[in-house]
Amino acid sequence: MSLVGLRKAFGATPAVDDLTLHVPRGSFTTLLGPSGCGKTTALRLVGGFLEPDAGRVLIGGVDQVGRPPNLRGVGMVFQDYALFPHLSVRANLEYGLRMQRVERALRAERVARAVALLGLAGLEGRYPHELSGGQQQRVALGRVLVLEPEVLLMDEPFSSLDAQLRLRLRAELKALQRELGVTTIYVTHDQEEALSLSDQVVVMDRGRVQQVDSPEGVYLRPANRFVAEFVGQANLLPVQVTATGSAAPAGGLTLTALGRPLSARLPDERRPEPGARGLAMVRPEHVVLLTDDVPPPAGGWRAAATVRARSFHGGFERYWVELPGVTEPWLVDVPLGPSLGGTTPASGRPAPGASVSIALPAFAASWLW
Amino acid sequence: MTAGLRSLGRLWRFDRGLLLAYGLAALFLLGFVVAPLVRVALEPSAADWRQVLTTPRWQRAALNTLVTVGLSTTSSLLLGTAFAFAVTRARVPGARLFSVVPLFLLLTPPFVSGLAFVLLLGRRGLLTYHLLGLETSVYGLHGVWLAQTLSFFPVAYLVLRGAFLAVDPTLEQAARGLGADRGQVLRSVTLPLVTPALLAAALFIAIGVLGDFGNPMLVGGRFQVLATAVYTQLTGWASFGTSAALGLVLLVPAVALFAAQQAVQAATRQRFATVGGRGAGLPAPAVAGWLRWSLFALCVLVTLFVLASQGVVFVGALTRLWGVDLAFTLEHARYAFGQVGGLGNSLRFASLAALLCTALSLLVAYLVQRGGVPARRGLDLATLLPAAVPGTLLGVAFVLAFNGPPLRLTGTGLIIVVAMAISYLPVGYRICAAAIEQLRPALDDSAANLGASKLRALLTVTAPLLRPALAATFVFAFVQAVGTLSTVIFLVSFDTPLASVTILNLAEQGSWGRAAALASALVLVTVAALALLYLVAGRSVRLWGFSRAGG
Repeated sequence: MSLVGLRKAFGATPAVDDLTLHVPRGSFTTLLGPSGCGKTTALRLVGGFLEPDAGRVLIGGVDQVGRPPNLRGVGMVFQDYALFPHLSVRANLEYGLRMQRVERALRAERVARAVALLGLAGLEGRYPHELSGGQQQRVALGRVLVLEPEVLLMDEPFSSLDAQLRLRLRAELKALQRELGVTTIYVTHDQEEALSLSDQVVVMDRGRVQQVDSPEGVYLRPANRFVAEFVGQANLLPVQVTATGSAAPAGGLTLTALGRPLSARLPDERRPEPGARGLAMVRPEHVVLLTDDVPPPAGGWRAAATVRARSFHGGFERYWVELPGVTEPWLVDVPLGPSLGGTTPASGRPAPGASVSIALPAFAASWLW
Repeated sequence: MTAGLRSLGRLWRFDRGLLLAYGLAALFLLGFVVAPLVRVALEPSAADWRQVLTTPRWQRAALNTLVTVGLSTTSSLLLGTAFAFAVTRARVPGARLFSVVPLFLLLTPPFVSGLAFVLLLGRRGLLTYHLLGLETSVYGLHGVWLAQTLSFFPVAYLVLRGAFLAVDPTLEQAARGLGADRGQVLRSVTLPLVTPALLAAALFIAIGVLGDFGNPMLVGGRFQVLATAVYTQLTGWASFGTSAALGLVLLVPAVALFAAQQAVQAATRQRFATVGGRGAGLPAPAVAGWLRWSLFALCVLVTLFVLASQGVVFVGALTRLWGVDLAFTLEHARYAFGQVGGLGNSLRFASLAALLCTALSLLVAYLVQRGGVPARRGLDLATLLPAAVPGTLLGVAFVLAFNGPPLRLTGTGLIIVVAMAISYLPVGYRICAAAIEQLRPALDDSAANLGASKLRALLTVTAPLLRPALAATFVFAFVQAVGTLSTVIFLVSFDTPLASVTILNLAEQGSWGRAAALASALVLVTVAALALLYLVAGRSVRLWGFSRAGG
């Protein structure tokens, strides 16, 4: 399915602006962005709950614009589920089948399959208010899946659940989606959710697509500063391009940062001109923190820094360090494995105020457009 | 029981103010709701009952009542629902304008519709006699039916309007997404979700029609219903036993309806509270074009009729002798504004009653939901009980209960004020209870944590937050009380005349000009009083969910 030049404005401000996107059959595509970025509007345009000002919504090559939502073959799971409060779980599940006048026997069979698939056995007679959040979520999903839609739309379906349940349902959803092979478009503002669930992530901001890539792509090679900062934590480094194209290492480019040479990745095929100034980004876990008693590795990029603060996060320790010549402090995440947390003496972990140096392995940094 | 005593003990030690308020509220409800009803129930002798149940005349009146209630309730519900659907869901052109038309009707006393009917369609009616040259009349069942529909459909409209607005459009969109067409969405989602509201409106209207006798009196002619029979028996024949028995007959269907509605409400309450909540901000799906335009036509028709019926009363006020001499005159207007006593009493008593009703509604709603006092269910029932008591019966009950010791109140203004307040207590109580339910208990808890007693928390946190609900209660009670007849007609005296009663008497004597003039004056002063309230109380006054901005 594809979206071509989709546009929708509320008043003067466009909520979705020139959205073009290909969603491969059977894939799990996530629209990721802050609230107000237009991701929910985009989803509603696909579902037919809103009509676009311009553009096309192609499903199986057929334009759906102008078709009412009940004829699109698209299943939508709403943010707050929109379960019918006056209907039991069973009646909610078979609602769509009734609307299609599916005969009773087939209806019962499909509902039974959904009940088994989603682990709703024993709850068929209950009403929505008698269900837990997770169960409501499953009914909302099952209600759509019994219709065997060509495209499944989900609008932040886990946002009102607690963290533990969210993790479990996320894993279940991923397995279910793979098993059924249903093309899915998922909307969320939670980057972790987007990265862990998707085959393809679409990062949006103020109605416009910022980047379409694999989860690894948007995380490791963000297209621009917005994507870098929205998808995870980003350390920014002012840089100047020294070499690009064939002069640079394969697929990347060579920069100068704080007076030292640095090799970096490129987010896409575009290449900056040599001499251009800009920003590079480094993820906190890719930075190596060196104390005075550890010998620095040979080669690579390094800089002197001062520790400002330190916090414990269970699996890792996070340092706020200041680099001369860089305005925002950097975050450095140091994993706490048995070799570090267990055996390194406390004196080996730099305290606030300590002078340290930081190093970047080759291609730890990525160029931002 | 011991738990109840313990909570009383706790109140006595820590919260005497709330305990005092609880005692006063309980005493008031016992003295003015429970006791009069018990008194009237004991009044008829066995002979009275035998006579009432066997006399063909009363049997016919009972049958007439049932027919009137059935027809008027059904038509009011249909019209009110269609109107509410037209302005909330179908988005007909001019929806904002149409949305205030029924409210305009609510501002005018119900019997004004009856009066307008006579002026428009009566033996010498403007439409029938002057324009069409007909000698037919509206007197009889069809006249009563039409007048009651016009009087009561605004209630259905108000309740259903709120209900339609409360249905999360996401549910309707979800149904569309699951393959339902427009008609199926309406039948399978929208209408089932407003069913509890429909039943609530049905109850209110049915009991209103049961107890109302302004319209049957004006346009019933020889068509007698129980309410008019109660009145003639008491005032014409001073036969307390018969009129009490006739009034108690009214109580049978009323209580049945009340119980049915309570049961349905209890069964659906929790289920219908929106699951999840937080409405996604989607607009409701559009309705089919033919439906939209038929509803538009209906709105136009009703609006024209409302304008005509209200306008004719004003015109009638300025006409020398309706049906005979249509010349312009100010004579009736002069008379009307000479009735300062009656108009003043109407306003004074209605505002006092509205104040009492609002305070009591808030107090009982708070006590039942947050007060932690014993016998909450009893308090709740006693407050809702007047909803099941037709106005005429309440009037007879008050006459019987307060005609002698221990409380002799007949002939005083107080008895009128209390009767009015009690009549609208159930509605006010429901409004306040619903609003308190919306308030997070954490607000109360934090007030307590910061050192406030429960009574202080009620006065300093809950009441200010409930200002819109309190204003709605006050306005509702005030407007209804100004135009009420059924209860107060038994309670007025030479010293305490009321405009509404005077209008009915004038109309009965055939003084149409004076009746119309006084009715017009009453409508004008009511509107003026409300306008004053708006100016003074400002933004918090929302007339049945309509803010001053008109949204």
